[in-house]
Amino acid sequence: MTDVKALQQERISIYHDVYDDKIPKRVPVNISLPFEVIAQFGGLDLCEAQWNPAIIEEAVDKICQTVYSDVCVFMGSFRYPSFYQILKSQSFQMASNGFIQHPEVTGMLPEDYDYLIEKPYDCLLERVIPRQYKAFNPDDPINCAINFAKSILAFNNDFMQSGMIINKMEEKYGYYPGGLLSGGFTEAPFDFLSDQLRGFKGISMDIRRMPEKVAAACDALYPIVFKMGLPPIISNYTQVFIPLHMPPFMREKDFAKLYWPSFKRLLDEYASMGIHCTIFCEHDWTRYLDYLYELPTDTTLWFEYGDPKLIKEKLGKKHIITGLYPVMNLKTKTKEQCVEEVKRYIDILAPGGKYIFNFDKSPLLFSDIKLECLCAVAETVRDYAVYSNAGETAGMVFNKADYKVEPSRNLESKYYKTWEQYKALNPEVSDFGRPKLQNLEETIFHYLMFLLV
Amino acid sequence: MINLDELKKAIGELDEEKVIQILTEFVDSNPTEEEAQKIVNACQEGMGIVGDLFEKGEYFVGDLIFAGELLTEAINTLKPVIGGKSASKVGTIVLGTVHGDLHDIGKNIFRSMAEAAGFEVYDLGIDQPVSAFVEKVKEVKPDIVGMSGVLTLAIESMKATVEGLKQAGLRDKIKIIIGGNPVTKEACEYVGADAFTTNAAEGVKICQGWVK
Repeated sequence: MTDVKALQQERISIYHDVYDDKIPKRVPVNISLPFEVIAQFGGLDLCEAQWNPAIIEEAVDKICQTVYSDVCVFMGSFRYPSFYQILKSQSFQMASNGFIQHPEVTGMLPEDYDYLIEKPYDCLLERVIPRQYKAFNPDDPINCAINFAKSILAFNNDFMQSGMIINKMEEKYGYYPGGLLSGGFTEAPFDFLSDQLRGFKGISMDIRRMPEKVAAACDALYPIVFKMGLPPIISNYTQVFIPLHMPPFMREKDFAKLYWPSFKRLLDEYASMGIHCTIFCEHDWTRYLDYLYELPTDTTLWFEYGDPKLIKEKLGKKHIITGLYPVMNLKTKTKEQCVEEVKRYIDILAPGGKYIFNFDKSPLLFSDIKLECLCAVAETVRDYAVYSNAGETAGMVFNKADYKVEPSRNLESKYYKTWEQYKALNPEVSDFGRPKLQNLEETIFHYLMFLLV
Repeated sequence: MINLDELKKAIGELDEEKVIQILTEFVDSNPTEEEAQKIVNACQEGMGIVGDLFEKGEYFVGDLIFAGELLTEAINTLKPVIGGKSASKVGTIVLGTVHGDLHDIGKNIFRSMAEAAGFEVYDLGIDQPVSAFVEKVKEVKPDIVGMSGVLTLAIESMKATVEGLKQAGLRDKIKIIIGGNPVTKEACEYVGADAFTTNAAEGVKICQGWVK
């Protein structure tokens, strides 16, 4: 076996051990940097690189040689300008500095609640997407079709280019092939409703003015976000990534009533199928640690803020903890201070297993970090966070039979057809076409919903 | 005459129905402008309660957004009786999200709370270049400049904006406050601002201290 293959085997086994409730040989170093940071590292024009993702490869290769990580140091990107531009997106726009951001926009009006609750998918396609994407205009049907086709081709092209770079690096440097964007991706029903449908302001009004409708809307959106997050392959190692947004900005009583039930159910239903989730707890979740405990065993909790000791004590035996180490340290502190500090985090978070190293959040700019600090921290984790009791059981053990959920409402819409529905409408179609046609149906569903997250 | 304490309390509790009911009845009673001004003051004091509850950790950002809307709605309800004459202003603020950043939720909360406290606020909007701040400061000669940003990159833009104001010879005539997720004491010193906050209510208090 080559050195690279041997290293990849080691990496696969440390991640798998964590997910299999065992103490790994060492703590996985899960550092992957966003597209923008690496483009700047390579001295590329950010705008040009986002339009032509292939040109980032050289910079990616160089950063992979420079920074230690057990996953590909290049995260890829979720947001390329091509498809947002083609569809004239209101919700994802490039700012003057080349960064694509999500301004506060409203895709759904208060009077749309009843329709959303009755026919959620129809409402999203007929009302919300056309408001957020001006070139997806049902009043101009032929251009709408052309624009949509162009955008999905652009999406496939750009994701394929960056995906190929990641695959190449995984092969070349023997990374664990399970980066953040390699499994499923979805949002909590309440966040889905808040982010691009009602907006931060709209949802803050609705919580007080029409809480019953908010709750009903979360239930109506549930089958959609559930389906959206399903990973293509289910195993103990694939993760559904769910960034959580609104809870730190809400009162606990609103959270308990409106946010938590549909979100908890989502994770329980995934757990009942043997699917694990990585949730990013944006901002400060200290108020909600007891709720997080109730999530299925082995949920990976990525924290931005909080007291590592308290988090480890409360949640560390049941869940996999990651994050917390402040990425800003890499700019504001010296190399020695960074190393000392990361050892402190490891001493608290590593004992007993169920810990993966990552920063509290991704850096946004290359100038947000000093490269020598980043390298020193990554190497310290690799060399210092080594277990002497590898192979022992780590905390609580996941068992999918512990999770039972009543089946939820099906996705029913004239814009989505199961094979049976399609076949009934087109009895002449050959069954040989089934996998292909059904796959296309799913692809379109996922792309349309991706536009809203 | 209506019970001012009751109104203040209803605003503090964000009891929208009650606030609008009280104000509608008040407007229907054909009050004098002087009476109306007392009501406006009570609304502002009610917003003070909201700010205090936020600082105590009983209210969160979502509640502040609601409070801002409620106040706008309250002032709109009162418009027929306060006439064109606005309340005496306590100071002027030029406000904006710095270039490179498209976020404005925090800025908008600060704006409603500052307006509620009697400031005249010129809101430039999001992703604003240095020149936009400089030009507006030249034009309206504010007491205070507020810069907002959510992304870490906003810190560099804030610094550039302060530099721009310096070069235009305007820096010494104004106080500068920065707000948003990435601001810290260190960032404030680095940027060259006079104050920083991650809490809109606290930010308004700082501004009040400056114009006293």
